[in-house]
Amino acid sequence: MHKRALGAAAVTGVAALALSACGGSSPTTPSDTGGAGTSKATSSGVPETPSGTAAPVRDANVDLVIWTDADRSKAVQKYADQFASENGVSVKVQIATDTRTQFKDATKVGKGPDVIVGAHDWLGELVQNSTVAPVNLSSDVAAKFLPNAIAATKFNGQSYGVPYAVENIGLMYNKDLVPNPPKTMDELVATGEKLVKEGKAKQVLSQFVSKVGNAYFAYPYLSAFPDGGIFATKDNGDYDPNKLLVNSAGSVKGGDILADLGKKKVLSTNVDDTNQDALFDTKKAPFMISGPWSVAKAKEAGINYGIAPLPSLTGGGAMKPFLGVQMFYVSSKAKNAALAQEFVTNYIPRKDVQLALFEVGKRPPALKEAYDEVSASDPDVKAWYEAGVDGKPMPNIPAMNSVWGPFGQATADIIAGKAGAKERLDAAAKEIAANIAKG
Amino acid sequence: MTKPIALAIKWVLIAAAMVGILWIATRLAAAGNTMAVVIAGLVGMGILAVYATRRAVPLKYLVPGLLFMTLFQVWPVLYTANLSLTNYGDGHLYSKEDSVKDIIAQSVREVPNTPRYKMSIATAEGGDATTADLVLLLTKPDGTMYLGDKTGLKPLAATGVEKTSIGKITKAPGYTVLNARQANARSKDLSAIAVPTSDGGGVKPVGLSEAFEGRATVTFDAGADKLTDTSTQPPSVYAPKDARWVNVADTTQSFPQGWKENVGLANYSRILTDDTIRSGFLKIFIWNVVFAIVSVLSTFLLGMLIALLFNDPKLRGKGIYRSLLILPYALPGFVTALVWKGMFNQDYGIINQTLGLGIDWLGTDLGAKAAILITNLWLGFPYMFIVCTGALQSIPQDVREAATIDGANAFRTLRSIIMPLLLVAVGPLLLASFAFNFNNFGLIYLLTKGGPFNGQDTSIGSSDLLITYAYRLAFSGSAPNYGFAAAVSVVIFLLVALMSIPGFRRTKALEEVN
Repeated sequence: MHKRALGAAAVTGVAALALSACGGSSPTTPSDTGGAGTSKATSSGVPETPSGTAAPVRDANVDLVIWTDADRSKAVQKYADQFASENGVSVKVQIATDTRTQFKDATKVGKGPDVIVGAHDWLGELVQNSTVAPVNLSSDVAAKFLPNAIAATKFNGQSYGVPYAVENIGLMYNKDLVPNPPKTMDELVATGEKLVKEGKAKQVLSQFVSKVGNAYFAYPYLSAFPDGGIFATKDNGDYDPNKLLVNSAGSVKGGDILADLGKKKVLSTNVDDTNQDALFDTKKAPFMISGPWSVAKAKEAGINYGIAPLPSLTGGGAMKPFLGVQMFYVSSKAKNAALAQEFVTNYIPRKDVQLALFEVGKRPPALKEAYDEVSASDPDVKAWYEAGVDGKPMPNIPAMNSVWGPFGQATADIIAGKAGAKERLDAAAKEIAANIAKG
Repeated sequence: MTKPIALAIKWVLIAAAMVGILWIATRLAAAGNTMAVVIAGLVGMGILAVYATRRAVPLKYLVPGLLFMTLFQVWPVLYTANLSLTNYGDGHLYSKEDSVKDIIAQSVREVPNTPRYKMSIATAEGGDATTADLVLLLTKPDGTMYLGDKTGLKPLAATGVEKTSIGKITKAPGYTVLNARQANARSKDLSAIAVPTSDGGGVKPVGLSEAFEGRATVTFDAGADKLTDTSTQPPSVYAPKDARWVNVADTTQSFPQGWKENVGLANYSRILTDDTIRSGFLKIFIWNVVFAIVSVLSTFLLGMLIALLFNDPKLRGKGIYRSLLILPYALPGFVTALVWKGMFNQDYGIINQTLGLGIDWLGTDLGAKAAILITNLWLGFPYMFIVCTGALQSIPQDVREAATIDGANAFRTLRSIIMPLLLVAVGPLLLASFAFNFNNFGLIYLLTKGGPFNGQDTSIGSSDLLITYAYRLAFSGSAPNYGFAAAVSVVIFLLVALMSIPGFRRTKALEEVN
């Protein structure tokens, strides 16, 4: 009985989707790998696709095995081929449908890949299970990345990979209904309610709440207040699982806002992953709080959308979203550790590689130089980046697994008016602490 | 006498079985599992003894069934029971020695203010690339070159040395530079290399072309069984506690890497003593039984009624209707459940919109339970329809005619003739359906995730089944605890088994109708 994958994906809802970066990004068809795959050592220029959802089977005859999701596979393959011909080795890129779980399970029995592509919040769990190896980037290379992206690759002060993209949620608005994005939540509600009254919209804001709540989307309401959030940080920058902020004074203020918005029907537990995008894309809601994964659908629906930072809340500051960082990990049980380290430390920090990965994912690149180039020509990327510029990386400590369920449910109950913010967040904090204590 | 062909087939099959077992045994031996190899051998001998001789005729029929039962029924149950006696789970996957090794390896930090070297991997000239001692050819950022081996760093004379533009040495007299593939083949040796430096660190390779000076900040004292982390001031000491390395001075701090160990019956005593489990168990158990029984009865009644309807010889186009009715069964249950979830949405769902209702289906206790039962009825009735149709067609027409001649009306025929005969065939399937629905994880998880959650915590939902509850219980901590989950599974297994016994007794009674 292995439902871990289902659990992780379902509990974190869209957050998990977003972080595994398969959250509805458009089925891109990058140009063919061209002549890069002509090296004799490389057996093929196309990523190996899995049959069904089973984990890929490791090919024992190649010198480097990389697991990635389907979206990124073509871009990774191109540079894997280049790496292969440059070093006279063979590299195989394989598509894993659920990299997090499949990597952990395969590594346990000695059949795992050498390199995986994944989200930074897997890190604590991977370290806990001794599945990833430290990746020692030199300080001058590390300085070329966005500081938040580098911070996200660290756990207990050790660095475990090379980042390539950053993503976060922001405010999407329908330019046909709202010419200028609101700066504050009050302004957003006033504008939205006016549109609803005029019959131009049915719902003020579309935000994933659902009956069981969504911690990822509720967090920014808490982080808008000083000392509001989930975990406090230690001196070394790591989140401290023993210092919960879920029921701090700031968090409760954020909770009061959730309650108020719930009462006004701006937030509703009836909006969830199944209808969030549809509400915005059918012009029923002029505003949506979502991430880059929603853009393709809005474009397809012909919505004249704009992207703005999350609004600020009365009595607090701007809502600060969680940052999700995409990165390359090296397996601690890698059969080809030397080549794996070489590929990750020398190839992924390259601008052209980061740009290629941007093309397939459309998330702001983690390498400053690549971000600068992309943001100059792509206003969406710039807007997403700016929406997340004050955000903090999502906690990558294993204790975060204890937070998603209880914290999400608490916010859903507050929005539904089932309980007051203070008492409900107190109860959630108690439950989370008990879960963390279970280990 | 046995015909020669049959004899030949028999021996070919026996040989095939032997080859198969040999193949499995070699794979097991390669994996280093001695016990399993012995068992495979015994099974092989058993097969020979049973089939190659003329003795033990009943066993000849029973052996395949016994083997598969052991493999797919007994073994998983034993495995789960065995697992339930351990703390196996995330952070407790490997042995204690592995955890020490891993913690030390992960604690290597770059020594501050040390240079990064460009590096090539080489052996002494003429050495075998696969076995000879490795040396590192290093270039400092300022261009000075070193030779690094296990004794330390030595200057490398510049004569005859060739470098790339970034300073990586490609040729040095007296040494053979390994190519990427050769160097990679030595990955194990490379990870062990640490060229000692004067300040107590070691120059270690990063990949194939760079090296840094690092130092492990954690040391292990095997005698005292303690880890010391020197990266903090003062150094922190970690001692083993509950299968983890816990900081002696501050017990809230521990290394994430723990180890697997036997915990005896601790998982079971946790089930019995946990407050939330005790308070919520009865409530969940009752709903679980109600859910399973109502699901079976409702799907069976609807399926049977439709089957009876479509069994009428006068009805035309039966094939089309039947195919249409099977559709809900043919669609993947996951998709259907999610579609129903959308339809039950309070504001945007088609059910409330068409009926003009404002029921919060998924947000209230009764609503959620009703929604689950309705969805399960939709998902389950086609199966009952199929089996009832099959069973009905096997009831001889003359029995019904006899009933009609005896003056029984349609209802009486149904009650006294058709139902008993139908139940004989369908009874065991109803039991199986009960057991399946008792553990219908997917439906609950996709529709309500066990919710709505009343009160102040998320440990017990009002539509939880034991299995979804157990899932949350085992996986709600920081890390999945498979040992504990296994213990809960064993308990559920025992419950289902106990409840099924009277059921099977009853089906035996039904069979006596024949």
